[in-house]
Amino acid sequence: MAARVGIVLVSHSASLAEGTAELAGQVGGGSVTIATAGGTDDGRLGTSIDKVAAAIRRADAGAGVLILPDLGSSVLTVRTLLADEPDELPDQVAVADAPFVEGAVAAAVTAAAGGSLKAVLDAAQEARHARKL
Amino acid sequence: MPENCEATITLTGDLHARPAGALSVAAAQFSSAVQLAVADSQADAKSVLAVMQLGASSGQQVTVRAVGPDARNAVDALIDILSTVTRVGD
Repeated sequence: MAARVGIVLVSHSASLAEGTAELAGQVGGGSVTIATAGGTDDGRLGTSIDKVAAAIRRADAGAGVLILPDLGSSVLTVRTLLADEPDELPDQVAVADAPFVEGAVAAAVTAAAGGSLKAVLDAAQEARHARKL
Repeated sequence: MPENCEATITLTGDLHARPAGALSVAAAQFSSAVQLAVADSQADAKSVLAVMQLGASSGQQVTVRAVGPDARNAVDALIDILSTVTRVGD
């Protein structure tokens, strides 16, 4: 089986990231690596650049990595990492501008189907238009 | 020459998140365009969020329509998954 795009969920809350990864992983059928970077290094609410870097390395299977930040400084942390340490990261990395839960679920399904990084990014970002009611 | 194919099944369980995911993963394996229709609503089967938004529930009829070179196989595969949606589980 060809390598799948990996997914990184970056949240202020470790439990939010892990719960979202659990849900997205189940909907996607379990064949996609979803790594989480939630909370600060000392376990408080916040984000950690080292946790994000480690999660990207765990998620990378050679087909690219999609990063999904939750809010505010999660985005800043991801952007800082990508700008400051591009040589330390896989070649194909993209950041999704998408709602956290819906984007994670849509990305996981498209990654499970063998979609390219561009397809997985598009699926996550199309979640901006998904209605619940 | 693209083919058209269509089939309908009555659900014996609700179309929850996990089967919706399985449907979309399967639909994405085909090059045909694949649509699900339930009551007055339609969804692109390759979009899991659209499939979930259908809110298809037990007892409802779901029609799978595909247009493209592998339309028949796509419809067969999706009907097969829909037939496994039961009341048990989510």
